[in-house]
Amino acid sequence: MKPIVRKVLKSSLAKSLTTPLSVDHYLGLIDSKLSVNEPRGRIADVQRQTPDSVTLTIAPNDNWITPRPGQHILFGIDLDGVRHRRCFSIASAARNDRVEITVKRNGDGVVSNFLVDRAKAGQLVYLSHPEGEFYPNVEPPAKALLLSAGSGITPVMSILRSWIDQDCLPDVVFMHYASTDEDMIYTDELDALADAHASLSLVIRYTQEHGRIDGDTLDREMHELGERMTWLCGPSGFMDAAESLLDARTTKPIFREQFEASRREAAQGEGEVHFIKSDVAASGDEGSLLEVAENAGLNPPYGCRMGICHSCKCRVSEGTVRDLRNNEVREIRDTDIQICIHAAAGDVALEI
Amino acid sequence: MGRPTHLSDADVEQFGAELDALRDEVMKSLGKDDARYIYRVLNTQRFSEVAGRALLFAGILPPAWLAGTALLSLSKILENMEIGHNAMHGQWDWMQDPALDSATYDWDNTCPGREWKHSHNYMHHTYTNIVGMDRDVGYSILRMSEDQKWNPAFLFQPFYVLALAAFFQWGVALHDLEWERVGKDKSYAEALSQGRDIWRKVRRQVLKDYVLFPVLAGPMAPFVFSGNMVANFNRNVWSFLIIFCGHFTEEAEMFRIEETENETQGEWYLRQMLASSNVNGSVPFHVLTGHLGYQIEHHLFPDMPSNRYREIGPKIQAIAERYNLNYNTGPFSKQLGGVAKRILRMALPHRRKRKGPMPSSIHHERPAAKTQAQRRTRTNGSAATAAAH
Repeated sequence: MKPIVRKVLKSSLAKSLTTPLSVDHYLGLIDSKLSVNEPRGRIADVQRQTPDSVTLTIAPNDNWITPRPGQHILFGIDLDGVRHRRCFSIASAARNDRVEITVKRNGDGVVSNFLVDRAKAGQLVYLSHPEGEFYPNVEPPAKALLLSAGSGITPVMSILRSWIDQDCLPDVVFMHYASTDEDMIYTDELDALADAHASLSLVIRYTQEHGRIDGDTLDREMHELGERMTWLCGPSGFMDAAESLLDARTTKPIFREQFEASRREAAQGEGEVHFIKSDVAASGDEGSLLEVAENAGLNPPYGCRMGICHSCKCRVSEGTVRDLRNNEVREIRDTDIQICIHAAAGDVALEI
Repeated sequence: MGRPTHLSDADVEQFGAELDALRDEVMKSLGKDDARYIYRVLNTQRFSEVAGRALLFAGILPPAWLAGTALLSLSKILENMEIGHNAMHGQWDWMQDPALDSATYDWDNTCPGREWKHSHNYMHHTYTNIVGMDRDVGYSILRMSEDQKWNPAFLFQPFYVLALAAFFQWGVALHDLEWERVGKDKSYAEALSQGRDIWRKVRRQVLKDYVLFPVLAGPMAPFVFSGNMVANFNRNVWSFLIIFCGHFTEEAEMFRIEETENETQGEWYLRQMLASSNVNGSVPFHVLTGHLGYQIEHHLFPDMPSNRYREIGPKIQAIAERYNLNYNTGPFSKQLGGVAKRILRMALPHRRKRKGPMPSSIHHERPAAKTQAQRRTRTNGSAATAAAH
């Protein structure tokens, strides 16, 4: 979109001419990727590096903001008429004008299974502005450790690619745990990068073969561990284990990106949930407040369903809620909470 | 008039269970065909609006003015009836598309969406045709039921009706102020703040249709202005006709508050069925009415996507026949004739004629009162128990 066109479309005149709808509603007649504010895009390329994953390259529209390395987005896609939203890490270098994400099959997950099996170039996807603090505003350190497991490889990949892209690659050990070599993604690219850059060394471990992360491996494979700033991402068990091993070996900062829902097995609540605006009441015994609302026939908006995206945020007029991430119980009044990661811990009045 | 006496409590409960089952079946099967349908309607509406407004810019040529006005009328009718009304009922919330979200959708109409959701979704759909509760019964200016007290001003109601039809969107906009309650159980401050919301919306609507588009058209301003005015008029009259055919036909029943106390789910369904009337027509006709030609189906399941009313209509009719209930339907001309007759009849003073004794329903011992909350908590799970509040 030309800047002048954009300026006109964003003007208050355009707003007044399209009220109560918005300019976007009419731009949709031309191409649903067009929008004056919202970042959206189309899938430009689909690579299936392993049987259970897919790497998507997305061509975003003009509203895409250059991310910082290691950030994530809320990715939306329409499946069977329903817009689904999930969080994915950006794997591409920050300044790349394409956005790359890698999705791993996640049990029965509707979105991951669709993308792994059936994603096609040309499909419209909804993006959010990039978020996350995995890579705070720090100067590239002299020495770094990028430590990941499973699909946690994507945000550290973004950091590595960004350093290379900006010609500021420090002395890096890239250590990754995949379950088998078949599950290992980015193999060729990492090998090529390691060949091209002497300051990059790779340590790839397969848990089915080599076992999980342990102190001996770290001490053996890692030189100067005490001098390395660490970026750590993977399943929560892996991260907890890695963090305590690292804490004993280095005083340099460790940056974490936890991605997997750290939510409990099954959410339990207690008390009565009253949805004020819909005038519906339901028992808060089973599930998160979001699930309670859905089981009562309501359709509140939601996104990632794991406490990341804030799409489901809604106001509690008063009540007692439990944060499912840490089981903390709070009595609150006129407060916005993410209902996907809170359950009732007593009577709750929600403004839905 | 109240519950038909030929049905026992068990019959009514069974009737309610059958409707619940039908609803669950449809709601579970929503998917990409429904999404494709509503997106097609959205595109048609937007395309006809853009094309209509463009043609009006050449409005000095009579064919362009006529075509432009027709397309803009079509767009406004589709937007108000099939898109806005239904989206604000939450029919498309399952799609999780912010463009169709009932919480944020606002329609191309002088009535603010938020106000309308209160007067329509809540008051009218919950207390349908209960005189004194459902303010859509006569919109506080007409006498539509014998249970409304007559006064000489109603003698002129045939004229009020014509004015209401022409300015229907304005009537709807002012409707929720509930001015007859102001100063009694509603404070002036509340009415004033509502009034401000309405004014904000009105200002934007008027600015768009009667200032900005005409001014942009330069020398064509009079043609754009008149085209917009006629399109708004057409939409007003059309929505007025459809809405009055929905509840004020000859056979549509009115209820009194005491007849509906402690209603069960089945009884609520029963009232919705008896208080609503359908209009027969082709598929395009139904799309243009926002599927309110299926008023009965809409009142039974207000948050079911409208395109499904066509599918369940025959099933609902079959259920009604089995329970020997009046499934009030007929061609547009017949239903409209019934509305006209009611308006004329109610202009004159007379009272409701009782058919037989008071309905038995209100004297029977009933299970604990069901609230609207319980009614909506019809679910798939055990988790959702209901609470009276």
